[in-house]
Amino acid sequence: MRIQPLFVALAALALAGCASDPAPLEQMRLSEQAVEQAKAVGATDDVAELKLAEDKLERARSNMLGESFRDARMRAEQSELDARLAEAKVLTLKSQEQLTLLQSRVDRLRKQLGEQQ
Amino acid sequence: MSSIKPLALLAIVGVLGLQGCASERSEVALDQASSAFQSVKDDSNVLRSAPRDVIRAGESLAKAERLATYWGTGSDVRHYAYLSQRYSEIAREHSNLVLTQERQAKLELERQRLQLALREAKLSSVQQQGKWLEEQIISLATTDTDRGLVMTLGDVLFDTGEADLKSSASRTVLKLVQFLQLNPKRVVRIEGYTDSTGNPDDNLKLSRDRAQSVADMLVDLGIDEKRTKVIGYGDQYPVEANASERGRAQNRRVEIVFSDEKGRLGAER
Repeated sequence: MRIQPLFVALAALALAGCASDPAPLEQMRLSEQAVEQAKAVGATDDVAELKLAEDKLERARSNMLGESFRDARMRAEQSELDARLAEAKVLTLKSQEQLTLLQSRVDRLRKQLGEQQ
Repeated sequence: MSSIKPLALLAIVGVLGLQGCASERSEVALDQASSAFQSVKDDSNVLRSAPRDVIRAGESLAKAERLATYWGTGSDVRHYAYLSQRYSEIAREHSNLVLTQERQAKLELERQRLQLALREAKLSSVQQQGKWLEEQIISLATTDTDRGLVMTLGDVLFDTGEADLKSSASRTVLKLVQFLQLNPKRVVRIEGYTDSTGNPDDNLKLSRDRAQSVADMLVDLGIDEKRTKVIGYGDQYPVEANASERGRAQNRRVEIVFSDEKGRLGAER
């Protein structure tokens, strides 16, 4: 409950900073969530899109501190989609690996059946 | 028009030039986003598996194109073109995932079908093996017209006065177990016999004990007790004269009487 005054203060700061660009708090939250989600399904820094997402999120955070809310919002938006793409790519890759495994099992079964007959 | 001063004109051309330079990058980004959107928009698989991302790709692209008609919006144009392209890529990736999963489901069905076929093939080969074993058992047994198929566990399996099965019996008993496992409906009557040494009451008990020890071994090896019936005949029904040691050894025996394939046993003696 002590967080609320902080939010109020942040909001006030945001309003004071720039009238046309409010602090993109919701977008920051979404982007952080997207990065976490991508990591949760097994994305690592080896996935180029996740690296991009993390870098952009980092820069968006420092934009927030510098109250450059427009830059923060744009970077956070891009970060979110980079992370979602990373997540989707990892899921597809895993699914393809399972498919390959399944295919090899089916091949083995066919071979055994061929020997049986 | 003639009132426009050359300097102002120059300034306008200069601004236009700068704008042109900046918008060239925006143009490239727009083109890329636009062709990415075209390729997902026209792909029925993508539309089916990720309609929302395709719609967002279109919305972001429209926004970028609208902004491109204004001055000084280069970074916004590129931003929305970037978002549009990402949405298209995400939609494409979702579609790849769904297609892969569908192939997996199909392959899984195929795998189950093949497993079943393999199991059936193996089973029929076991049944063939069963037939082979049956021939072996029959070669060990004789067909008695009154009693059906009879197998004799011969003299070497018991010592005089002993009911314990000698270890040399194991092989024959194992074959018997395998045969019964492959022919689950068949049952057996295990009949014990002795030579004429000793008194008839003791012999009756001994013959029963011998038959029981064979039955116990079958049960130990996994045959249901209900499929075995035990009976002792003492020194009755000798196969040889009890006069010689050789004849007596042949009379100390256990006979296994098999039922037919439906579990019907011949009558007791």
